[in-house]
Amino acid sequence: MKDKKKVRINKYLFLSVFSICVGIFIWWLVTDGLGIFRSNALPSPVKVAESFVKKWYETKPDGATLLQHLGASLQVALGGYVIGAVVGIPLGIFMAWNDKVDMCVRPVFDLVRTIPGIAWTSVMVTLVGIGFMSKALVIFISAMVAMVINSYSGIKQTKTVHLWVGQTFGASNWELLTKVAIPSALPMIFTGLDVALGSAWTTLVAAELLASTKGLGFMIQQARGIFRLDIVIVGMIVIAVTGAILSSVIQFIGRKLIKGGRS
Amino acid sequence: MGEKQKRVFFGAIGIFVFLCIWYVATALTALGTVMPDPITVFTGFFTAFVEPIGTHSMTMHILISLRRMLVPYIAGGVLGVLVGILMGWYRVADAILMPYIQMIRPIPPIAWIPLSIVWFGFSEGSKYFLIFLACFFTIALTTYNGVHSVDETLVRAARMLGAKDNQLFTSIVLPTTVPYIFSGLQVALGSAWATIVAAEMIRSSEGVGWLIISGQETGDMTQIMVGIVAIALTGLLITSIMRGVESKLCAWTVRGK
Amino acid sequence: MRMDSERQVVPEEALIEFRGVDKYFDKPQEGRYQVVGDLNIKVRENEFLVLFGPGQCGKSTILNMIAGFELPSSGAVLCQGKPVEGPGPDRGMVFQNTALFPWLTVMGNVEYGPKVRGVKKEERRKRAQHYIDLVGLQGFENSFPVKLSGGMQQRVGIARAYCNEPLVMLLDEPFGHLDAQTRYLMQDELTRIWQAEKRTVIFVTNNIEEAVYLADRILVLRNCPTGVKAEYEINLPRPRNYTDPEFLRLRREIDAVVDHTL
Repeated sequence: MKDKKKVRINKYLFLSVFSICVGIFIWWLVTDGLGIFRSNALPSPVKVAESFVKKWYETKPDGATLLQHLGASLQVALGGYVIGAVVGIPLGIFMAWNDKVDMCVRPVFDLVRTIPGIAWTSVMVTLVGIGFMSKALVIFISAMVAMVINSYSGIKQTKTVHLWVGQTFGASNWELLTKVAIPSALPMIFTGLDVALGSAWTTLVAAELLASTKGLGFMIQQARGIFRLDIVIVGMIVIAVTGAILSSVIQFIGRKLIKGGRS
Repeated sequence: MGEKQKRVFFGAIGIFVFLCIWYVATALTALGTVMPDPITVFTGFFTAFVEPIGTHSMTMHILISLRRMLVPYIAGGVLGVLVGILMGWYRVADAILMPYIQMIRPIPPIAWIPLSIVWFGFSEGSKYFLIFLACFFTIALTTYNGVHSVDETLVRAARMLGAKDNQLFTSIVLPTTVPYIFSGLQVALGSAWATIVAAEMIRSSEGVGWLIISGQETGDMTQIMVGIVAIALTGLLITSIMRGVESKLCAWTVRGK
Repeated sequence: MRMDSERQVVPEEALIEFRGVDKYFDKPQEGRYQVVGDLNIKVRENEFLVLFGPGQCGKSTILNMIAGFELPSSGAVLCQGKPVEGPGPDRGMVFQNTALFPWLTVMGNVEYGPKVRGVKKEERRKRAQHYIDLVGLQGFENSFPVKLSGGMQQRVGIARAYCNEPLVMLLDEPFGHLDAQTRYLMQDELTRIWQAEKRTVIFVTNNIEEAVYLADRILVLRNCPTGVKAEYEINLPRPRNYTDPEFLRLRREIDAVVDHTL
């Protein structure tokens, strides 16, 4: 019975690997193989792989290596993200903990959160010009919004019973917040950190497409202009992989911390 | 004062205070030199309905953006639900399609903009393509999770009552999946709206995203803020409509209420 | 009372029969694990049979094997002389956690069985209404299960199983999650419903009073691997009384037989 199950799982795994291989083969066939698509419409997988390797040390055609672009993007994204988290988490907690503040700030916040982060780019560019500052501010806003929403609902979901337990032990309001509500909101806060990171990274790419002189978004926009689609695809892959790695780092830290907090 | 009146009352105070702070900040500080006050912005927003910005009135800008968003949103939604159910119900389809979905999904829809421009030019096609991507993967995955979350005891109950395989699918699997589909539709709606704004900012000659970017190009901060107000209000409107539809159709869930 | 052609059972033949049934589960850590050992049971038509035993072991598995959700590892479970191969509408189950379809109204739940079996709308509506009235839920036809109390939800579960007009009703600790007061009420209700429309009922419980209160016949089950330890015919007239001396005597007598180890 057990062996049978194992065999079946292996069968599906094989099917997945096979499916990917077929996909890449078809990609190769319509490009290099039969030449249906030219490189300026769809580059072949071989060309993309080549460019991926070359771009680590070549600065052509956009004036920087892949690593420099990646570094520039990460610097902006993480900078805005960290400030967004530092402001957003306490703000969300404060909103959720104080009923009056909640009722006053919620409607304003609900309005602001429907504005996509990217829409702020124009405001920021007009205010402080193209550069690190305008992008970091845009990312700050989009990360902060996600942080506020999640830490807010984390605190709101605190079980009333847990608060009562705290009260019967004579905990003050401040102690209830720091010893009961915040620890129980921790998983949601980490969800917020993950969501905010995703939204910061996406917004950054958009901001770099619009207004930038460096970074992965700038790189793919430049490459598009000269029809170097191989570099465009390399850029997209690096953007996706970096986003996935950042997200799993956050999730890893979250799991470690939350476990430690519970035992 | 009841709970509801209290919320409305404090909410109104909150918005009023926010507008006052905005007004005072622009009237009394250096911010006023670059940032218009709220009265100017809202007057600008409402006059835009009668006096066109660029070649269109505000109504047209909003409708154009909405059309760009809705056509591929519906297509991506329908196809996403179908593919999600297919993958959830048949393990073979799961094994074949899932790797692609897992690989493509981490790419932000916005990062497809350069490719979409090369493939589809500056036509509506490139925007449809982007929005389709933004919706399809999210909806396919949530639908897939929905199919997998079917409660085993309910399946037993249905079998006990005499349901056959196809009846099991329509009467148990589909209803279980509906709330998941809706949460996917909600998330996709937000991301589609953000994507269309970004796409219009990068390349277009009308729509709400264009309002902002043309404001930036001419250094007209009032127009930028008018565009942002339009984006916020339209976004709020479509998500509220979506929530209304959801609570009508999912009256039986706790979430739907 | 309704009479289906398929319900004519030869008096001597048992409706449900267990012949030397063993059931094993494969657990990841403990390996092979025997739940049911050499079980032999005969269930007569229209009797109210209670399977009573302590702890969590085996009782539900016996019901699941009659329902066809699980198959015996060895031996045979027969329904009307034919081996059970899977779930079917001739064996109706009332689940402990109700297992109502949350997206259907009370009416939708009750008429589900006839609907999937192709009964015409008018006919099945009439039938469903009959059973909704029988369990005392008139006025709640269009409510969703989440809006109902635990006792009312279980009434829907009973009506849903009844509405399919099965040969045998399987009740798996149906009142286990209810509070004591509701539980007493539901026991009376079940007795009333059963007397109004006689069916073979197999009722699983770990509550000794409930067993004596409801049963025509009680099978006391031993702990794992489970099998029949003792059998009692309960001939008290209905409605029964918890404080009746004969009731209390039976209760004590059965209690002395039960395995009290955990």
